[in-house]
Amino acid sequence: MKTFYVNARYLIVPLMTIATIFGIFLGNNFVWLGVILFGFNTIIDTLTKDIHLRADFDEDGNSFGIKKFQYAVMYLMLPTFIVLQIILAWRLFHYTSAYPIEVLSLFGINYQSGISGINLIGATLSAGLWAGLGIIYGHELSHNRKEGFFISRLIMSLSGASHFTYAHVYNHHLDLGHEDDPATAPRGRNVYHHAWLSHVGQSKYSFDLERDKLKKQRKSFFSLSNKWIIGYLYSLPSIILFVWAGGVIGILSLLVVWVISNFLLEALNFMGHYGLIREHGKPVEHRHSWDNDNVFTSWFFIEIGRQGDHHVRGETYFWELDDVDAPNYGIGYFSLFVLTLIPPLFRKFTKELLEDWDRNKATDSERKIAHQIGNL
Amino acid sequence: MFNLFKKKAKFYSAKILNNDKEFKVSKGKNLLAAALDDGINWPHKCRVGSCGSCKYKLIKGKISPDIDFGYVLSFDELNDGYALACQSSLKSDVEVEIELKK
Repeated sequence: MKTFYVNARYLIVPLMTIATIFGIFLGNNFVWLGVILFGFNTIIDTLTKDIHLRADFDEDGNSFGIKKFQYAVMYLMLPTFIVLQIILAWRLFHYTSAYPIEVLSLFGINYQSGISGINLIGATLSAGLWAGLGIIYGHELSHNRKEGFFISRLIMSLSGASHFTYAHVYNHHLDLGHEDDPATAPRGRNVYHHAWLSHVGQSKYSFDLERDKLKKQRKSFFSLSNKWIIGYLYSLPSIILFVWAGGVIGILSLLVVWVISNFLLEALNFMGHYGLIREHGKPVEHRHSWDNDNVFTSWFFIEIGRQGDHHVRGETYFWELDDVDAPNYGIGYFSLFVLTLIPPLFRKFTKELLEDWDRNKATDSERKIAHQIGNL
Repeated sequence: MFNLFKKKAKFYSAKILNNDKEFKVSKGKNLLAAALDDGINWPHKCRVGSCGSCKYKLIKGKISPDIDFGYVLSFDELNDGYALACQSSLKSDVEVEIELKK
């Protein structure tokens, strides 16, 4: 029973993504299901903010998590997110081809053929939000196994962010808490500014990484060995699909999906390390990351909120990550995300948390850096 | 249903030649994690294959790299048989050389 509970609890995103796909397929107001679920999750996350659980191990210290099952789920999320894009493209085609709005049936299921402009917006927003949540699988797979790394690249390429897989491993994990890490947000920055700077900064890092590697190998920058270029080429099928399905409107729709999904990705980076400081060259410790680990955030985001443990034990499977007494926001990711959208509110919320960090967790050097930042 | 996915663990042995230490590495565990679990002071920092602190020389045996070592190790190091322990999955018993932390 415990094995079932530990493994099944991480199926929230797969099930809700499938529900979102189904909603877009059904058409009419059902296309907004993805948006509604996002709002519903925010409420549940807020209501469960005080429930925290530890990682589950048996009396011999073995995890109840089943690697083969969890990996199968993660790998299956790639075709799931591809279907999400295809179903949105299908709706785009309906709109740009002016399909009449009528009820049709497929395998006994009634769905609305044709779509109104407002509902196309709903479908696009739903797809963007859930494509953004696909990031959690892109992140997890970037850390384990060769095949996992490649699948991660493909999942991220659906959001035009294939560079993430390299930047996350080679830059963020090495340089977190330091100005060399574009994914770490310094104090005072807002999430909107960070989303842009982090995205571009990580892409540039990947560009430089490939350039330096190819130079060492005496290969041309413009070759099939250039993972930065190849990563963007992985996004071509999405672009071709949306151009074919909707022309200019298709491109606009894909842009909206990519902006939303990348914004969600960078918001996670923003929340994960906001304002925390590490002196260059010093080891990464639990205190250099923020944890968000109330029960709903933990299960929904497959423990991505356990940043403290993850950054010290990067090879650890998500179901084994634990509470390590890292700095904690005290609320879940959905709730915190809402706060980040109103920068003055977010700064007010984090002011005391950061002061506490400076007093009780920072080294003298880190405190000095914090003071210098405060005086800027 | 979930028990169908469970399999019995398999072990390989890893021997550190220049320190005369030997430890077991279970299938699915990387070399660094197994060494640390055994209380061996293997140098490390990032544990995700980006810093190179855990590099070792593979003298005998087979490993499968979980990531491209070319981003961290030089051409000469790769040719000399160096690898990153945090990204090494064992495919056989191995013998390695590594300067352990004191």
